[in-house]
Amino acid sequence: MQNEFFGIGKYLLAHRRQWFWGIFFVLISVGASLAGPPLIVGRAVDALRAGTATTGLIVQYALLILLTALISNAATFMMRRFLVVASRQISYEVRRDIFANLTKQDQGYFHNNRTGDLMNRLTGDLNTVQEMLGFGISQGSSTFLTMIISLSLMFALSPTLGLVTLCVFPIIATILFFVIKTIGKRHVAVQEQASVISAKAQENFSGIRVVKGYAIEDREINEYKTMNLEYRRRVIRLAMIEGPLWAFVGLLMNFVFIAVLLIGSRQLITADANARFAGLTIGQFVQFTTYLFNLQWPMLAVGVMASLIQRGASSWQRLQQILEVQPAIRDSERTDSSIKTVAGNIRFENLSLSADNRTLLNNINLSIPKGQTLGITGRTGAGKTLLASLVGRMQDPSSGRVLVDGHDVRDIPVSVLRSHIGYVPQEPFLFSDTIAENIAFGLNESTQVEHANKPDFATIKWAANVAGLAKDVEDFPAQYDTMLGERGVTLSGGQRQRTALARAVARKPEILILDDSMSAVDTETESRILNELKTVLEDRTVLLIGHRVSTLRYADHIIVLENGRIFEQGTHDQLIALGGVYAEMERKQGLENVLEVDEEPSTVLKLGVN
Amino acid sequence: MREEDAFKKQFDWELTKRILVYLKPYFWVAVGGVVLSFLIAVASQTFPRLLKTAIDQYLAPAAGSSFSALSVDARLQGVATIALFILGVAFLEFVTRYAFQFTLSWLGQNVLFDVRADLFSKLQRLPLAYFDKNPVGRLITRVTSDVDAINQFITNGLLTLITSIFVVAAVLFNMFSLNWQLGLIATATVPILFFSARFFQTKFRDSYRDLRIKQAIVNTSLNENITGMGTVQLFNREARNRRDFNNLNSSFLRANLTTVHWFSFYFPVVGLISSMALALVIWYGGGQVIQNIVTIGTLVAFTRYVGNFWQPLQDLSDVINNLQAAMASSERIFGILDEPESVADKPNAKIFETGFKGDVEFKDVWFSYKPVGEEVLPTDWVLRGINFRVKPGESVAFVGATGAGKTSVISLISRFYDVQKGQVLVDGEDVRDLAQRNLRKHVGVVLQDVFLFAGTIESNLRMNDPEIPIERIVQACKYVGVHEFITSLPNGYQTEVRERGATLSTGQKQLLAFARALIQNPDILLVLDEATANVDTESELQIQDALAKVMHGRTSIIIAHRLSTIKNCNRIIVMRKGKIVEEGSHEELLEKGGYYNTLYRLQYADQEMTV
Repeated sequence: MQNEFFGIGKYLLAHRRQWFWGIFFVLISVGASLAGPPLIVGRAVDALRAGTATTGLIVQYALLILLTALISNAATFMMRRFLVVASRQISYEVRRDIFANLTKQDQGYFHNNRTGDLMNRLTGDLNTVQEMLGFGISQGSSTFLTMIISLSLMFALSPTLGLVTLCVFPIIATILFFVIKTIGKRHVAVQEQASVISAKAQENFSGIRVVKGYAIEDREINEYKTMNLEYRRRVIRLAMIEGPLWAFVGLLMNFVFIAVLLIGSRQLITADANARFAGLTIGQFVQFTTYLFNLQWPMLAVGVMASLIQRGASSWQRLQQILEVQPAIRDSERTDSSIKTVAGNIRFENLSLSADNRTLLNNINLSIPKGQTLGITGRTGAGKTLLASLVGRMQDPSSGRVLVDGHDVRDIPVSVLRSHIGYVPQEPFLFSDTIAENIAFGLNESTQVEHANKPDFATIKWAANVAGLAKDVEDFPAQYDTMLGERGVTLSGGQRQRTALARAVARKPEILILDDSMSAVDTETESRILNELKTVLEDRTVLLIGHRVSTLRYADHIIVLENGRIFEQGTHDQLIALGGVYAEMERKQGLENVLEVDEEPSTVLKLGVN
Repeated sequence: MREEDAFKKQFDWELTKRILVYLKPYFWVAVGGVVLSFLIAVASQTFPRLLKTAIDQYLAPAAGSSFSALSVDARLQGVATIALFILGVAFLEFVTRYAFQFTLSWLGQNVLFDVRADLFSKLQRLPLAYFDKNPVGRLITRVTSDVDAINQFITNGLLTLITSIFVVAAVLFNMFSLNWQLGLIATATVPILFFSARFFQTKFRDSYRDLRIKQAIVNTSLNENITGMGTVQLFNREARNRRDFNNLNSSFLRANLTTVHWFSFYFPVVGLISSMALALVIWYGGGQVIQNIVTIGTLVAFTRYVGNFWQPLQDLSDVINNLQAAMASSERIFGILDEPESVADKPNAKIFETGFKGDVEFKDVWFSYKPVGEEVLPTDWVLRGINFRVKPGESVAFVGATGAGKTSVISLISRFYDVQKGQVLVDGEDVRDLAQRNLRKHVGVVLQDVFLFAGTIESNLRMNDPEIPIERIVQACKYVGVHEFITSLPNGYQTEVRERGATLSTGQKQLLAFARALIQNPDILLVLDEATANVDTESELQIQDALAKVMHGRTSIIIAHRLSTIKNCNRIIVMRKGKIVEEGSHEELLEKGGYYNTLYRLQYADQEMTV
């Protein structure tokens, strides 16, 4: 258990004052409630039995019960204020820290961990831990203290009966030990299945278009039902062992009660029948059974607590994994914090990247001076996106270096590097916020918009204009305040891509990476945007990934990747002259053109002249 | 904001009745549970009575009673008999409790299963427009925590409520049958409890509601940030988003602390009221003992009953919270179940068993993404009076700038949405008269958003249809030229696809999507050409080649951005701002020198120079 809880100590320690006072009040609460009413009731019974009780004495007893109850309940109130509050605060802190750590993870982490699974941990598991700390510690300490104090008082009343009660402890402990282990395992099995189910739902809802498009709703429903049947089976398996645990502890406590009754009655009746015999009085017997009765819940609570801790431990382990995972890409000792800015000279040096025993990029050497536009093309899966992602350090190469302004990118503080890069991905992710906020996403806070009348609204409009988005936005009723749904559902694919472009352009980055970022934009709009970009982003380094020769022509230098290697490179004209893959590409695209033109005599004539 | 509104729900009998409907299939099991809880209540409240008998007859018989004359052995014998009774009742209690617990989980899990299955099935039938409006995170909450709240409603709410009521009734019965005057005194504080409980109920309800709203907001934000973390990082937004998230997290904490605050008050208050009852019993009962009206055993039994009486009353507050929490959840669940299937099958929807001939016709179609029936602003129209007809086996290309409405045309043929005006006809039948699933089965769509499911490449291609032979899959993959890539993967067709195909490049995913469409062998093929935009020229030529084969003899509607894609089509329809502006063959349109001609020239101007 120790290892499982390693890491939670930090949070517990920060709230030590609350734990201290909380447990202090538990002590008062438990002490007052045990030493108070049961003792007083016992005394009252004895006085009544002996015939010494007067109405005045009884009133005194009744008032004493009220007084001790007041103390005990006031202490309970204080205890909750300290302990339960601490658990909620810790839950808040863990959530905060996990979020913070998630923001540091590299893309590899998010590829390997499903969103649904991460969400499950941050909701279900965190809740379990919170319950373990709040309910667990307040109930745990009061259980523990109730046991200690009750047993001491019981021993004081009658050592024999105390011993009988004590006998049952090892039995219960042994049973709990075995049962709780199994409960823990079955609980994990339940949790795992819950994750599978929510991941399935997540996937289905995200891919609903495909589900409907292929009319596979029934198959999806059946799959989902099968998963849920398995879940039900696992929960019932858990219930089969958790159910008897509770009832069984109750049964054992009744056995103790019977033993106490049989043995205690012998002492009591002998003493009662023979006044010279000093045994148990009826009041003491009643007091004793009250304690025994009060122990019933703590006995049950031991079981609850044990399974709570078990659950809490496995949940905490899952949270700890997120809390402690270290990103491969982060600032380290080698980071040169004196680098404050990036000019935009990029160089790839003997760059290779491999994953899962596959070489994805193979010995790339290339220099892109500031202000140049590099065109990158090649087959699907040739490594174009990977190469571009290395510049912004979305991942690190397996060997070789990426140099920006002569510095290895691993030496440049990640935030400095990225703040000078504008990246427009193939499938942009937009946030459920206004269009304005989405475009201003990468702007510094000081220039961030809140209202359309702020000065930097100009930047947003400018960027939207450059990206060819302005007209679309002006057609929306709420204009720049139009809210985007999750993943920008209300925008078309092309609008989404242009919003992402505006978002990147708004930063006026030194390095702009366009990763096939206008695939959903028609050529008419694309060429207009590229022309606009050219004038606006003069002196900026641009990595332009694409397939259309008509687009790549804009580049100063073009590389053709094949199987992770630079297969060809040069200017458009050089590559055409080389007569290789690029020329073939151009020829094929041209051929399609000719094929079409073929059908039109006048153009054929013109081509013939050329 | 609808999310938050749903929490403002109070206890509602109509909703409760609907939840109870889910118990119907398990009626006798539920009755069994009620019987068990009755037995538990009876058994557990028998103990103080047995104790009372033991005290009054054998342990401390009153001086004048008939038992005071018993010998020590007879008294011990009597105690032993009572102990035997206690043993019997203890076993009964154990068995009934176990059975009750088990019944409870069994019932809860079955209801949970049924609600989830209903909800998920319903969601599968809801139109796409519903998914456009509702973020995935929200829907996930519906099928997870909201459904669980209903499970809680039945197990920790309803059945615990019944158990508590039985226990209270059993205690009252025992108290009043022992001594009704003392019973009245013992329950004298109930009105105080009642009023304080009512006060706290309001506080709990409000703070719980607030808590759940804050939680939903935190979860939505978490979900979005995790999904979009790559973008957050690229734009250096980590610190900002951390802080934004922290604001939400803090207000969630504050809501949490408010709830804790009221609970910290509530339990001690109830505890104190319970102690008042005990004090009253000692005061009044003690006096009665002095006057020999009440026995010591009865007094002791009463001290137990007072304790047993307050416990279930205290539990009731939890129960009521569970019930209330379930109100909000169930309202939202029923909200989904009641959601009109605006794009629903008619009762006598037509089914074309063998598929379609492939005749597609649009008759004066006006369409907007606004729900049918809602007012449509002039700017909302996506399609403005579209008329065209595609004959069986004909191939038609739609061209035009982004936002011209081409994608909507495709969505309407599959009936992902319904039109506001006009008709979409397939084989002469209005698509609204056809069974949707049957329609879509025979309409193959290659969508702009390529979506891969978790599973293997093969399962993604066959889309869980076990009847498709692997040969057909391989054949289709060879067709689109993705076979070689697949076999180059470590496990070939059995290679695992990670979440949304994150491990594959866009081009590879799109090739797979093409293969997927081909495998289904549709009668009407709808292609979004944008899907091929990320594919290199060579693969694209392969696809076009495959497309030409698959288009043969099939009605095909291709949304094309690049004119090269449409060279195989019989006809071209040119769209602009939701209207058809030109129509005809490639040559005709070029000759016409209109909008199409402009599009054409813009794209190929560069290339013509160098050729």
